[in-house]
Amino acid sequence: MTLAAAGGTWGIPGPTFLVIYLAAVVGVAALSAVHRRILFRGDPSADAGRLGPQQVAYLGGRDRLAIYTAIGGLRAAGAIGSGPGRTLVQTGQLPAGVTPLDTAVYNAAGRRVRGRDVVADQWVDAAVTQLREGLERAGLAVTAAQRRTARLWALAAGALVLLGVIRFVAGVQNDKPVGFLFPATFFAVILSIVAVVQANRVPTYAATRAIRDLRRQHTYLSPRQSPSYATYGAAGAAMGVALYGAASLYAMDPAFAAGAEIQRITASGGTSGFTGGDGGGGSSCSGGSSCGGGGGCGGGGCGG
Amino acid sequence: MTAYGVGIGWRPEIAGFVAGLPGLRFTEVVAESVHAHGDLPPGLGELRDRGVAVVPHGVKLSLGGADPVEPARVQHLAAVARRLRAPLVSEHIAFVRAGGVEAGHLLPVPRSRAAVAAVVANVERTRAELDVPIALEPIAAVFDWPDDELDEAGFLTEILDRTGALLLLDVANVYANALNRGTDPVALLDRLPLERIAYVHVAGGAEHDGIYHDTHTDAVPQPVLDLVAELCARHRPPALMLERDGDYPLAEALRDELDAIAKASGYPVVTG
Repeated sequence: MTLAAAGGTWGIPGPTFLVIYLAAVVGVAALSAVHRRILFRGDPSADAGRLGPQQVAYLGGRDRLAIYTAIGGLRAAGAIGSGPGRTLVQTGQLPAGVTPLDTAVYNAAGRRVRGRDVVADQWVDAAVTQLREGLERAGLAVTAAQRRTARLWALAAGALVLLGVIRFVAGVQNDKPVGFLFPATFFAVILSIVAVVQANRVPTYAATRAIRDLRRQHTYLSPRQSPSYATYGAAGAAMGVALYGAASLYAMDPAFAAGAEIQRITASGGTSGFTGGDGGGGSSCSGGSSCGGGGGCGGGGCGG
Repeated sequence: MTAYGVGIGWRPEIAGFVAGLPGLRFTEVVAESVHAHGDLPPGLGELRDRGVAVVPHGVKLSLGGADPVEPARVQHLAAVARRLRAPLVSEHIAFVRAGGVEAGHLLPVPRSRAAVAAVVANVERTRAELDVPIALEPIAAVFDWPDDELDEAGFLTEILDRTGALLLLDVANVYANALNRGTDPVALLDRLPLERIAYVHVAGGAEHDGIYHDTHTDAVPQPVLDLVAELCARHRPPALMLERDGDYPLAEALRDELDAIAKASGYPVVTG
């Protein structure tokens, strides 16, 4: 009571505490942002042209999208298909020049692993680990150690939240006005969430820029364009999955994608063009044809 | 008209393939698939800015209809041509609607004097809005109307003479029409005003039950390529374009078709 009588909770007047508290929130926000810029910068010379589809996929959608990208490439090459019981099966030779992940997925199809279980397959998992480590060495993926360092800022922001809550409770108990402390604490909560989310990022800033360039160069692979995967080949199909998510697999071969229980995941870092509908594109009856008219698909002659 | 050589129809499904052709100087886009003001289809603006001539190809004006062309459709075609900085536009001599009913297909116009007058009037209405020339494309027809007063060449020549329009000749159509009527395609070439050709469509087709369909989804057959060579021996058009509208094959197959058209016409290859 004496402390409160002296002018505020803990002897610090409300407005003074508020200013110091907000300054701390802003300070942690600024310092953590600058530190992340440096910590997650990655290799500034990272070049979009050097990134393969599976690398792009891992950076945008982790293990599962990398594996789906391998599946897309192998499917487009005619190497795998879907079998009874929602399994993957081999339908052709393993193409030349494939990655270790392609080989692991192809071998899993040889063992008729179910589509949903291929992610948990130990050889596939080992290949994804190899992919991830290569990306970390190249300054394209954030390492676990960098992530731990970045989480310290979440700790700092969390401490501010705790302080705000305690002061809020103490203020209420002492019948002090706490109306401004509530939004100030809320800012600290937002800051904590941002710090946690940012600490979990996979691509370095350099990699994000490279992927943005790649997406600009490959807009033609967006499922919205109903891309002709036959024309773009296995590499194009794989890049389509890497950049635009599982929607590309459903657009390319809906029966296979459903048969292999491909989950409809998207690639982060941009619009995926995936609307969550039936995923069908890929039909040759889309609007760009010169055959005229609305219903002019599937008829006999084109004539124009 | 500038000689553009060999091109390919720009379609969203193969946009990446078209953009990857190093020697490309000419392409065609379905006019109705381009917005007059909104975003251009991805990649099309880049092609235009690279100096590739992009020709809007209308499919829904219905120039051959008895009703006047709809002003909004004509204005759209003109706006798209300006956006793409197109050297010309093209449309079909056909009708796609009548009495407000959409046919969903390009339908042949009877080759009568009344039809010529209707087409000429519609072409004039369209040209009034356009800043660039228009090329007219006759369509393949698997049947003839019973009251035709003119033959194919006479009908076309009459329309071109009276409108001053250019000709977009579909070699695969010429082949299809000749095959389905049992006439000689080369003889038809000799009766057409070849010097009026702005560009040429070359497409694939398939024969079903004795009738050749100009499908645009099959490979270009050798007789069509031979006809291209016959045409170019008489009067080589400024541009020839592979028109593929679906069931797109491997990139190699498309490249081979483009190279085959280059070989038949004597123009340089555009594939590399």
